[in-house]
Amino acid sequence: MDAALLRLLAMRMRGGLRLRLMQVVSLRGALLLLAMVGIVWLLVASREAVPNAELLDIARFDSEAMHAQISTFMPLGLLGMTLLTVVLTTGPSFHYSPTEINFLFVGPFSRRDLILYKFIAYAAGAGLSAALLAPFAQAQTGSVLSAFLAAFLTLLFVQLNSAAAGMAWQAFEGNRLARLKWPATAALFVFAVGAIIYAAAAPDRTIFDLLSELRHSWIGTVILIPYIVFTELFLARTQSSHLAFWGIMAVLINVALLWAVVRLDGRTSERSLRDNARLSDRWERMKQGGSFWATERIEVRSIPNAPTLAGVGPIAWRQAIKAVRNSSKVIAVFIVVAACAGPLTSVIGIPITDDRALVMLLFFFAFILPRTLICDFRGDLSRMETYKMLPIAPWRICMGQLVVQVLLAYIVALTMIVSVLLFEDRLTAPVALALALFALPLTFLIYAVENTIFLLFPTKLVPMGRADFEFLGRSVVEFIVKMGIILIAVSAAAGVGTFTFMTLRTSWILPGTASWLTMILIAGLATIAMQYAFRRFVVAESFD
Amino acid sequence: MIKVTNFSKHYNGFAAVRDLSFTVAPGQILGLVGPNGAGKTTTLRALCGIVPPSSGHLSIADHDIVKAPIAAKQNLGYIPDDPRLFDTLTVWEHLAFTAAAYKVADFEETAEALLQSFTLSHKRDTLVHNLSRGMRQKVAIACAFLHDPKAILFDEPLTGLDPDGIRGIQQAIRERAREGAAIIISSHLLSLFETLCTHLMVLNLGECRRFGTMSDVLTEFDQSDSNSALEAAYFTITQDKDRGGV
Repeated sequence: MDAALLRLLAMRMRGGLRLRLMQVVSLRGALLLLAMVGIVWLLVASREAVPNAELLDIARFDSEAMHAQISTFMPLGLLGMTLLTVVLTTGPSFHYSPTEINFLFVGPFSRRDLILYKFIAYAAGAGLSAALLAPFAQAQTGSVLSAFLAAFLTLLFVQLNSAAAGMAWQAFEGNRLARLKWPATAALFVFAVGAIIYAAAAPDRTIFDLLSELRHSWIGTVILIPYIVFTELFLARTQSSHLAFWGIMAVLINVALLWAVVRLDGRTSERSLRDNARLSDRWERMKQGGSFWATERIEVRSIPNAPTLAGVGPIAWRQAIKAVRNSSKVIAVFIVVAACAGPLTSVIGIPITDDRALVMLLFFFAFILPRTLICDFRGDLSRMETYKMLPIAPWRICMGQLVVQVLLAYIVALTMIVSVLLFEDRLTAPVALALALFALPLTFLIYAVENTIFLLFPTKLVPMGRADFEFLGRSVVEFIVKMGIILIAVSAAAGVGTFTFMTLRTSWILPGTASWLTMILIAGLATIAMQYAFRRFVVAESFD
Repeated sequence: MIKVTNFSKHYNGFAAVRDLSFTVAPGQILGLVGPNGAGKTTTLRALCGIVPPSSGHLSIADHDIVKAPIAAKQNLGYIPDDPRLFDTLTVWEHLAFTAAAYKVADFEETAEALLQSFTLSHKRDTLVHNLSRGMRQKVAIACAFLHDPKAILFDEPLTGLDPDGIRGIQQAIRERAREGAAIIISSHLLSLFETLCTHLMVLNLGECRRFGTMSDVLTEFDQSDSNSALEAAYFTITQDKDRGGV
C-alpha cells in the first residue's frame, strides 16, 4: 500500500484522538466521560460481584445452555445478515466520503491501495469497537484477550463478508440469471413462513427447534462452515490451542474475503461511485437533522394546504409530512416489532410482567424509540431560526412539534398492548385499557422531557465517529435524568391514586382517574418547562 | 417601519452590537455594510426575534419585538444568508406552510405569481433538498414575500444566484419598497447598495460609524464614480476606527 495513504491514516487517527482529548479536557466533556465510564464500570462490576443480580439477568440462564445457544444460533444470524445484504444492498460496500473521493480518487493511487486504505480504517474502528465489547463478551469467552480477538475478527468478517457479498451481487446484476433475485427471495420468504406455520401447528416444536435442527444437520453445517468458524472462535474459552486454531481459520477467511473484494472492485467501481455520492448526501442530511431513510424521490405530489389550527396546525402538518416521507420505514419496523411482542414473549416463555421483559420495554420506549424515530425539535436544530421567527406563540409551536411524535409513539405502544393482550393470558382487557389510557400521558411526558433537555442543552443527534465519549456520556446522563423524572411522575401518580383509594375506600375507578389526571398534570407541567426552554433557546450565535 | 433604539447585544461579555439606533421608513431600503464581525447579522436576528437584545428597543410596524413578538413577526419577512428549508417538503408545501403560519387566506394565487416571478413554477412539486443553493434562496424569498410583510430583512440576498436570479431579486426588492415595505439589506457587495439602497449604514466592531442617505455618503466622499465613492467611504470609515479615530 502507498506510504502516503498510510501517513494519511495515521494523521487522521491522530486528529481523531486530538479531538477526543479536546472534548475530555473541557469540564463538561470530562464529566460526561466520567459518567459513561462509571456506568460501564458498574455494569461490569455488577456482573463480576453478583452474577445473579444483573440488570437483564442473563446469568439466570445456565452458562452451558447459553454456550449451546450461541453455538447454534450465531452462525444462522451471520448467514441471515449475509442474505439481507444481498437482498437489500443499495449502498456502496466500502464508503468513501466526498473529501476522500475528491482527494484520493484523483491522486496517484491504485484502486487496490484505496481499498486497503479503507480496510485499515475499518480495522481500526473494529479494533476500538472490539475493545468496548470485550468486557461484556468476556463471560462467554473466558478472557478479555480472547473476547477482544473474537470480537475484532468477527467484526472484520461481518464488514468484509457484507462487502464481498454485495459486490459479488452487483457484479452479477448484469447477468440474465439476476432476474431470479426476487423470485428466489420470494421462495425463501414462503419457505420461512411455511416453517413458522409448521412450527406453530406442531405442539411439541417451536421455530427455534427447527432452526436448531437445520444448524446441526449435515447440509446446515456445510452451508454455515465460514460462520461456524467465527462462532467457535467466539466460544473458544481459554484453551489456547482451540483459540489459535479458530483464530488462524478466521484470519484466513478474512484474507480470502479481502482478496475477493479487491478483485471484485474493478467490476463495480462505477456503481460504487454513484452509491457513494448517494450515501454521502444521506449522511449530510442526517447531520442536518434529517433522516437517513428519507425518500430519495426528487418530486412528489404536493399537499396543497396546511391546517392553521391556531398555529399548532402548520407545525404538526410539517412534522406529519416529515414522518411519512422520512420515517415511514422506521415507523413500520417499530409497529411490526411492537406487534411481535405478544407472540415473542409467548414463544420464549417469559411473561410480560417478568422484570427482564419490563426492563426491555422501558429501554425500548424510553431510549430506542425516542432515539430512532425523531419528529420534533430534536430533528430541527438547523431550522430553529425558522421556528423562532414565526408569528406563533411558543407553547403552540411546542405542542405542534410534540403532537405527531407523541401520536406515533403512542400507536406503537397501543400495538404492543393489543399484541400482548391477544397472546398473554395474564393481561386482562381492563388492565390493557388502563395501560392504554396511562400510556398517552406517559408518552407525552417522555417526549416533553426529551425535548426540554434538547432545547436546554442542544446538540446534534449524530455522534462524531465511534469513540465520541462525550456523545455516549451525554446519552447515558440524559437517559438517567429522563428515567428519574418518569420515576418521580409515576410515583406521584401512584401516590395520588393510593391516597384517593385509602381516603374514599371505593372501587379502583376513582383512584385510577385521580392517578391519570395527575399524570396529565405532570405532562402539562413538562410542556410548560419545554416552552420555557424553547423561549430561552438561542440560535447558534454569530457575531457577523 | 423599522425602528431600532439604543440596541445593544452582548455575548458572554463581548459586545457584538453597541447602542445602535436607526429608523427605516416605508419605501426606504437601508444597506447594512461592515467587515466580518461588525454586528450586521446580530442586528438582523435581533430584529427578527431570533436573538433577544441585551438592551434597547426594536420594533417592526410599531410592534416591539420583545413585548409583542407575534404582532411584530406577523409584519416581518426575513431571508437568512443560508436558507435552511424543510428537506421533506416540496416548494409548494413551503408556501402552504408559510400561508398557514402567517394565516394568509387564499394564498394560492399570490403563491403561483411568486413562483412564476422567481422562475420556480416548474419546481412546484420538487422536494427542496434536490434544489441548488440559488433555487433554495429563491424559495426562501418567495416564502418571505407571501404574507406581504411591512418590513423585510435580507442577509446576503444574492449569494448563490445566477445573473437572471440576481436581476429578478433586485427587481423584486425595488417593487416591495415601492409598495411601501421598509427593507434592510446586509451584504458585502458594495455594488448592490449602489444600485438598490436609499440609505446606508456602516457598522464596525458593533458600532454605527456612518448612517445617512446614499447621496449624502457619496457627496461626502466627493467622487465622480459612485462605486469608488462607496469603496472610499467604506474603507475610510472602517479603517479610521481600526486606528482608533472616528
